[in-house]
Formats: sequence, C-alpha cells, structure tokens
Amino acid sequence: MLDQARMQGREVALDGLSMRFGDFTAVHPTDLTIRAGEFFSILGPSGCGKTTVLRAISGFAAPSAGRVLIGGDDVTALGPNRRPTALIFQSLALFPLMTVWENVAFGLEARGMARAERRRRADALLELVALEGQGDKRPAQLSGGQRQRVAVARALAVEPAVLLLDEPLSALDLKLRQHMRAELKAIQRRTGVTFVYITHDQGEALTMSDRIAVMNAGRIEQVDAANVIYDRPETPFVATFVGEQNVFEGRVESVAEGFAAVATPQGRFRAIDRAGLAPGEAAAVMVRPERTAPAANAPSDANRFTARVERIDMEGPYLIAHLRAGDAAAALHVPNLAGAAAGLTGAVEAAFRPEDAAAFRPGGRARG
Amino acid sequence: MAELVRAYGRGLAAVFAGLTAVWLVLMVALPMANMTKRAFTLEIRDGPSAQMRVELERARQQIAVIDFDIAAAETEIARGSAPAAAPSPSDPFAGLTGRASPGMAAPSPGGGGAEPPEARIERLRAERAEAVAAIPAMAAEVERLRAGEDARAGLSVENFTTMSPLHWRVFGLTFLYCVAVTTIALVVCYPVAYAVAQAQGTGRAGLLLLGLVVPYAINELLRIFAWTMILANNGILNGALDALGVIDLEGGETIRWLASNGSVFAVMVYAYVLFMVFPIYNAIETLERAQIEAARDLGASVWRIHRRVVIPHAKPGIAVGCIMTFMLSAGSISVPGLVGPGLHPDWFSQIIYRNFFEAANWNVGSARALMLLILSTAFIIGVMRAFGVGVKEIAK
Ligand SMILES: Nc1ncnc2c1ncn2[C@@H]1O[C@H](COP(=O)(O)OP(=O)(O)OP(=O)(O)O)[C@@H](O)[C@H]1O
Ligand SMILES: [Mg+2]
Repeated sequence: MLDQARMQGREVALDGLSMRFGDFTAVHPTDLTIRAGEFFSILGPSGCGKTTVLRAISGFAAPSAGRVLIGGDDVTALGPNRRPTALIFQSLALFPLMTVWENVAFGLEARGMARAERRRRADALLELVALEGQGDKRPAQLSGGQRQRVAVARALAVEPAVLLLDEPLSALDLKLRQHMRAELKAIQRRTGVTFVYITHDQGEALTMSDRIAVMNAGRIEQVDAANVIYDRPETPFVATFVGEQNVFEGRVESVAEGFAAVATPQGRFRAIDRAGLAPGEAAAVMVRPERTAPAANAPSDANRFTARVERIDMEGPYLIAHLRAGDAAAALHVPNLAGAAAGLTGAVEAAFRPEDAAAFRPGGRARG
Repeated sequence: MAELVRAYGRGLAAVFAGLTAVWLVLMVALPMANMTKRAFTLEIRDGPSAQMRVELERARQQIAVIDFDIAAAETEIARGSAPAAAPSPSDPFAGLTGRASPGMAAPSPGGGGAEPPEARIERLRAERAEAVAAIPAMAAEVERLRAGEDARAGLSVENFTTMSPLHWRVFGLTFLYCVAVTTIALVVCYPVAYAVAQAQGTGRAGLLLLGLVVPYAINELLRIFAWTMILANNGILNGALDALGVIDLEGGETIRWLASNGSVFAVMVYAYVLFMVFPIYNAIETLERAQIEAARDLGASVWRIHRRVVIPHAKPGIAVGCIMTFMLSAGSISVPGLVGPGLHPDWFSQIIYRNFFEAANWNVGSARALMLLILSTAFIIGVMRAFGVGVKEIAK
C-alpha cells in the first residue's frame, strides 16, 4: 500500500492576488485562504477566471499583483516544477505514448528514481485509485473514468501537498461523474492532501466540498460551507447561481429587525435583508422553490401570493409546479405523494416563510 | 476504390482512377523500367564495330563528295567550256571538299591542271562506282562485328562493377555528407519548429512561418548564388571580416570559404531547411500544450520533456523531414556545383549528371542513378526502423 504518512496537505493563501491579460482583468485582487487538508471548490460560470486562479496557484501563470503562499511559504517566484502542487488538467493531458504505469511514475522518473522502485510505487498508486493490473495498458485503452483515475494517480505520485483539479469530471457522463465524485472525495480523505477543485457544476461542488468559493467575473463573492452557500447566499449572484430561486421584484417599504418588507406586484413580502436596504429602494425578494408551498398549511405570518399553474414536471421524488404570477415566473416543489398533483390546477395560493426568503438589490444575478 | 465511388460518384472516381493510372505508368513505371533496363545493359561504345562504322560513314561521305565534283564539272560544260583555271566562286563546296576528304585520290578541281571537264567526269564516275561497290561489304562487316559485340553486351552488371575506385569513394562520401547535412538540418530545425509551434497566438506563428517561407519564393539557383556572393573570396563575408580587422583583404589575405565542404553543408542546409522544419512543425503543432505543462508540473527538466513527450510525439514528422532532406541533398547538383566547384571528390549526383549530359553515356548514368536510388531507399528504411515509425504514421 502507499506510504500515506508521507502525504500531507498544506494551506494555500492568496494575498491580494490579481491577474490581468493586457487591459483585461481576469481576476480582481483576491484574498483567500484554503485550509490544509480540506476539499475546497471554486465554483463559477464559464470564463469567470477559475482556471486562471488555479494556474496562479500552480505556477503556470505569474500574478500581475499579489502573492501566493503555500504552507506559509511565499512561492510566487517559483516555477510549477518547484511548487508542492500537482495539477490535473481539464483535458487530463495523459501521455498517450507511455503506458499507464509510466504515466503514473513520470514524476518519479523526473526525480531520478530507479525503475524497479518506480514501478512498485506506480502499482501502489494504481491500487489506491482501483486500477490494479492496468499498468501495462496505454491510456487510450482505458475508459474515461479509468483515465481520470490515472491522472489522479499521476498527480499523487509526486506526493503533492496541494492537488489542483481543473474540472476533471466534465468529460464524463452523469453516472460516471457521480461515481467519480465519491471516489475523489474518498481519495482526498485517505491522503489528507489539500484539494482545490474547480467546477462550474454546482451539484459537484455542493456534494464534495468542505468549503466552496463562488466566483463571478473575476471576483470571489462568497466562501463558505455548502449548506451556508445554499441557505444563506450573500449576493444575488450566489443566490441565483447555486440552485433555483423564485424572484419577485419590487420596492422596499420598511426595514425592521433584519427583515425588509417589499411591495411587489405579487404582494407585500417580508424577507431577510441581505443588502442593508433602505425604504424606497428597488429590491428583489428571492426564495427557493422547495421552500415555496401551497398555502393550505402555511403559518399566519407567511408571505402569500396567488398564481396560475402553467405546467407540472415530474422529477421522481417530487413534482415541480411552474407558476405564473403576473410578470413573475415561479416554481414550487411538492413531495410526490398520492394525489399531490390533484390540487395543483388553475389558480393556486402559494406561500413561503419570511425566514426562507432573502431581499437583495436587483441586478447581478446569474443568467438563466 | 469502392469508397472513392461512394464519395465522388462513379464518373469522378473513374476520372481519378484513370489519371492516377496514367501518372503511375508515364511518370513512375516507364522511366523506372527504362532506367533499370539501361543500367543493366552494357553498351560497348568504342569496340571494333564502332570503328568499322566510322569507316563506313567515311566511305559514304566520299561518295557524296564525288557527286558534288561531278555536278561541278557538268555545270562547267553547260557554261560553254570556258577554261576553268581557278575554282568557280559559285561553287563554295569545291574548296571544302578538297579539305574534307583527304582520302580522295583524284586532284580536286582547284588544285588540278587543265584536265577537260569531260575527262574529269569520266574519271569521277569510275571512282564513284568503285566506292559504291565497296559499301555493302563494309556494312556487312559492321553488322557482323556488332552481332559479336551484342552477344557479349545485353544484360550485364558491368555498368556497376566497372565503377572506378574514385567513384566508389565519392559514392561513400556522398552518403556520409548527406547524413551530415540531414543531421545538421535536424539539429537546427527542431528548436525552430518547436518554437514556432509553441508560439502563443496564431498571428505570431503565422508570421514566423511566413518568414521561413519568403526566402523560398526566390528561385533555388538564385538563392544558392546569393550564398556564393557571400562566400566568394572578395565576397561579403570576407569583406565583413576585413572591416572587423580579422583579415587584411588589401594585403591579399583571404579566407577561402567557397569550395570547402563546410560551406557546401551550410548552403545545403539552408537550401533545404524548410523541408525539415515543416514536417516537424506540423507534428509538434498537434501536441496538446497541456501535456508539456503536465510534464513540467511533474518536475521534468526541459531535456526530459523533449525526450519523453515532444520527440516521441514528433517522431513521424522528424522521420519525414530527415527523409526529405536526405533525398534532396543526395540529388542536389546545384549546391555542390555552385558552392563547391573544383572540390574533390565531387558529389555523386554530379557524376550522374556528367554521365548523362557530358559523356552521353546514359547506361552508365542510369546505373549510377539506380545506385543512388537504392542508397536513398536504404536510408529511408533505416530511418523508419530507427524511429520505429511505419508507413501509416508517416502518411498521417
Ligand atoms: N492567456 C490569456 N490571455 C488573454 N485572456 C485570457 C487568457 N487566459 C484566460 N483569459 C481570459 O480570462 C478569463 C477567465 O478565463 P479562465 O480560463 O480562467 O476561465 P474559467 O473560469 O476557467 O472558464 P471555463 O469554465 O470555461 O474553463 C476569460 O475571459 C478568458 O478569456
Ligand atoms: Mg477553465
């Protein structure tokens, strides 16, 4: 088995890091601390600068300003081969002309290790990623998921303190992706290496990560554990990029005890004030579809609105009712119990609790 | 073929197939067959039959001369027996025939006394008859001798085995030189091709390639001639050295660059680099950049990245580049001819050229050309073995 005692995660810190390409700022000055041994995800839409951040950590791109520290050491001036990091590329970048074990052992070869010892280590790593006995194949002879694991083994072979993964699962189909998520998570636990995982797939980030940074247009908007990101998003972008939201736009009537009362065409809604709103300001009230329900059993202080049911989608365990209330489109989730669909026709009254809703300034939302 | 029909329809496919067949037959099979046949056919050029044929030719010529003289005498008679003390100026052949046929026994009209034209005609007619009578025997003799020689000639490897030791030496040296040129070109071109292929931004790579191609818009001879201007004794290079004070041109101090193997190599590398750069560039171009980065990330040195990742990937391109450069330099006449005049030993291709166009000995020339072809083929096979690439990969 692999000598796991040798592997140890280290902390990564970005200190005022910014990345510019000519006039274009791909990453605005960012401070970020990734704890040693944690599974950290950077989540954001395509083109927001995720890969650029990763390349700065790995040393392939020099920062325009700021510093990169790994385990407290300033590595800003070091090349990628001199940093205790290993990068798994978006395309995997396996060496097609080498066998699987030679791929895995390439980093060891570069360190001048003897062939027999290399082979032994490679086999141990292949066992770690459940690829025993595949060492003599070529990468092209493996399935997508297996290639993925070869890339992980190859990166782990150099015993990095930080493993950087750039959307490594994006090429796999859904089932395999779910399986590999669990596997990556398990490998991370077993090795204790710090994983910095980049993805634009929120499901991936939410299921695997200890903490998530949500990034938008070159800025990190929120860094928190998955449940906090989901339940208490701090910006309209985070709120709408991660999961679904029903959005009602209106004007603030009053603010009290952390709650804002917003008058919208759909009704007067109370919601947690997440933007320090002032009366008279434009605002958007957001609430998740699964926190929106038919009004029948709603508590007395719930926000209520009437809407027309446009369509019902079957999602298996629950139903999604697509509603229209004036200008606003909304959705609500109902558990798929016997007769659940029966009441969902024509005009319905829906309700959500003020504690489940958040009020932001409008704008800055994720598309779609 | 079935695929071709599917892709282009019956008509076009037939046209393709037809053109390919014509090309194969006319441009490949026939010349090759002809060359091979000639190479293995011994042609005896100055045997007895050839000498006899020369004599036969001479006899025929003599008859023609006599005919001229007869015609001249007849004209004289027709003019009204005016005494002809000197050759008629209207007969420009008179003097000529006297010189051209030293074997003629009769005095020519110019040198003769006052023989009357009638008598002269009589004598000439007799002479002519005699000469004509001798011809069949001579022709038969030529045929007889030729038949004897043909029996000896025919299929033979003598064209190969009779090559002089000097030419064998040239043959061997040409191979070594071409290997040297190929190696130099590879060493020079690989980094260039790598740099261009890795250049960031398509615009930059395009510009670099354009820079490589532009010199090739100039005719090959001119390109080489430009080098002779640089390398000449009073050329640009020596001029520059003079300006730098390294040598003293005024004092008759020159460095002889031309006619040295070094400059032949240099110019040949320059003349054919593109054929090395392009295949390698194309091969490296298709290498995923991330693979190089991955190797670097894993701590590999520049040397190891090239040895383990880039070169294995570029192998087919390198093989093609080496083959092309080798073939071109092995067949080059203009570079050794212009840059290395008087340099001995010569390039083997020059020997072939001389056999064809100076000695007009096509059979020996064909044999030499065939030898060069075999050498090149051996080199190709050797390179493909060495690089472990098959025809399929090269075609890719
Ligand atoms: N070398 C470069 N030169 C100029 N602009 C660049 C360069 N690299 C990235 N960019 C720009 O920086 C921005 C962020 O790119 P980056 O690759 O980090 O995005 P990403 O978040 O990884 O996207 P994706 O999810 O599609 O991979 C993009 O707008 C991109 O066009
Ligand atoms: Mg990316």
